[in-house]
Amino acid sequence: MALFLYLHFPALQLDHLQLSAQSSNFPVALVDQQHQLFQINAAAINAGLKLKMGLASAAALCPDLQLLPYQPEQQAKVLHSVAQQLYQVSSDIALDNPAGLILRLDGMLQLYGGLEAYWQALSAKLAALTYRYQYSCGATPYAAKCLAYQQAGLITADNRLFNKALNSSPLSATELIPAMQQQMIRLGIHTLGQLQALPAAELARRFDSQLLSYLGRLRGDYYHALEYLQPEPGFSRYLELLYDISDSTVLVKPLATVLQQLEQQLSRANCQCYQLLLSLFFRDNPPLKLSIGSAQGEYKADAWLALCQLQLESLPLPEPVYGLQLDVNHFAGQQHATEALFNQHQARMSALQLISLLQARLGQAAVSGLTLQDQHLPEKASKRSPPLTKGATGQPVLALRPAFLLARPQPLTEAVTIKQGPERLCPDGWQLSAQRDYYIGRNQQGQWLWLYRTVSQQWFIHGWFS
Amino acid sequence: MSALLDQLSRRQLVWHGDSQQLAYQPVSSGYQELDQQLGGGLPATGLIDIQTEAGIGELRLLLPYLQQQQQHSQRLLVFIGPPAELCADMLAGCDLELSQLLIITPGEQPGAGQGSDKLTKLTTAAENPKSVKKFSPQQQALWAAEQCLQSGCCASVLLWPAAISLAQARRLQLAAEQGAASMIVFRHSSQTLSLPVNLSISLQPDPFGLQLTVLKRKGSWPAAPFRVSMQQQWPALCLADKTAEPLRQAG
Repeated sequence: MALFLYLHFPALQLDHLQLSAQSSNFPVALVDQQHQLFQINAAAINAGLKLKMGLASAAALCPDLQLLPYQPEQQAKVLHSVAQQLYQVSSDIALDNPAGLILRLDGMLQLYGGLEAYWQALSAKLAALTYRYQYSCGATPYAAKCLAYQQAGLITADNRLFNKALNSSPLSATELIPAMQQQMIRLGIHTLGQLQALPAAELARRFDSQLLSYLGRLRGDYYHALEYLQPEPGFSRYLELLYDISDSTVLVKPLATVLQQLEQQLSRANCQCYQLLLSLFFRDNPPLKLSIGSAQGEYKADAWLALCQLQLESLPLPEPVYGLQLDVNHFAGQQHATEALFNQHQARMSALQLISLLQARLGQAAVSGLTLQDQHLPEKASKRSPPLTKGATGQPVLALRPAFLLARPQPLTEAVTIKQGPERLCPDGWQLSAQRDYYIGRNQQGQWLWLYRTVSQQWFIHGWFS
Repeated sequence: MSALLDQLSRRQLVWHGDSQQLAYQPVSSGYQELDQQLGGGLPATGLIDIQTEAGIGELRLLLPYLQQQQQHSQRLLVFIGPPAELCADMLAGCDLELSQLLIITPGEQPGAGQGSDKLTKLTTAAENPKSVKKFSPQQQALWAAEQCLQSGCCASVLLWPAAISLAQARRLQLAAEQGAASMIVFRHSSQTLSLPVNLSISLQPDPFGLQLTVLKRKGSWPAAPFRVSMQQQWPALCLADKTAEPLRQAG
């Protein structure tokens, strides 16, 4: 026998908003198109507000109520992310927009060894998400949904219990459209039990096919097709902030919650990622896109947070941020570095991690390596390269060269003692007019200089032997 | 009486004035005179303060030591804020592993990471950049040095600071001990502030190498200045005789 669990989230968008706000002691409500309260938080309930209340009476009861518009597409995103996170404990999850999830249990019971163990794992996961929810089991998706709407909370596989609860269910908990519910109540039919007692042929004659199809699916006579969720390869989360943030260092707090979710997804898949794309949304300016990279690859939220923090610290915000989005396009398998067993001290981080850290704060260009090029001109022989690049090996090292080269040679303005020279260097193509004669000299202060004389007998300092 | 002294010294309650136990593990500097005077060489970890003018041979004095440091532990060598471009020919010629070398030049680029051109555009439009902390290149350099030392993946860090305070030096010393790395600070001899370091030396130019004064060495007595000859390692950079005339008077 099939068994389903329905999870209903009565205030998903609002709860998600509160997640980023940390404190929830001021009343907030979401308003739908008809200007009625659609979702309210705990503080608003304490103030005496109820769902479907008009704005005027809400304002009269609670003058400092904060109102936000209900956005169905926003809620759909949140619901999808909830399903993604529940996927690690349960395999067959179907989305039921706008506020429900249908979980098929019969496959999972085998794995968990019983309904109780399964529910324990699932409810622990749900408690971590901190969204309010109502739940119930049922023999069919619609039966479970109907019971969940009444907050039946049935965690059982007992068919008699289901039938008993269903028969006493009011029609308001069903999927029937309000007009049909009204029609039924006029006929004196108030509960689902009364409706089910009527012969199907009679119902078919008096009502449209919608009712019959609903009842058929409710009882399990008709097949109810469900589209189960497939886990996504990447990671994408959008977080709308409850209040605008103008200080970039404060952004770290909401970001930490998103990174925590990323860590869960990565560790579940035994993966890591090399780059995060962080978008900050402003009301007037175009969104600011930051890319935060780690050369070694990370999955831990703490490590990513430290890297984000370094970039955000030096980031000027043109105006307050109202939302942020984190995207990861590519996951890679985790790699573990092997270390020597008898090493005297353990390195706190690897060289690649250190470089990511330095680059996050100082910028890409400030951290570089050095490679030797196969060139005879001193200014071309040394090249700044990306860190830890292995240059070509086996190149002959040229004669005596100074440790420091000046980027722009300076004219010589003091007396020097010439020790060695000349060494004639000519640029490519034998441009004889640009050839230089190099000398090693020592000035009065005892500094060893690398000098050259041009064709026009002018002297320049090109570097010094440190 | 001697039994009592014996007992006391065994419990380390008596301190001998003539004991010259090193407070650090020495690594040979490659110069015989220096090793002799320093009781084995330069310290493998901790802060080394070098007061010198630029270009008189201060890096040449350290190159054999740096090469050993790098090779022994297979860790990075970091140059922070060098006064000019480093020459790969010279470093490779002294057997340094160039791929294990890191050059950090703070202040090279004002923005952070990619998309900085967009960033600077936004910055100019920003009305209130109060919330953003600005770090000077000097602060950036010290921060980078501390990170490198703490990480435990760097053998030696060389820093050319404009100035360094007592508290900063103490912090770097702690970080160096934590990461088992050595940190070399090049300062101008005009800065006479004494720092909490393992070794502090002052360098003077000399026709045959360097004139070296040990200002401070952990666990030892001060010694007289001495000369380090570089005639063997760098014959081209030593004057053979002092009578050589200045070749050209420019100016």
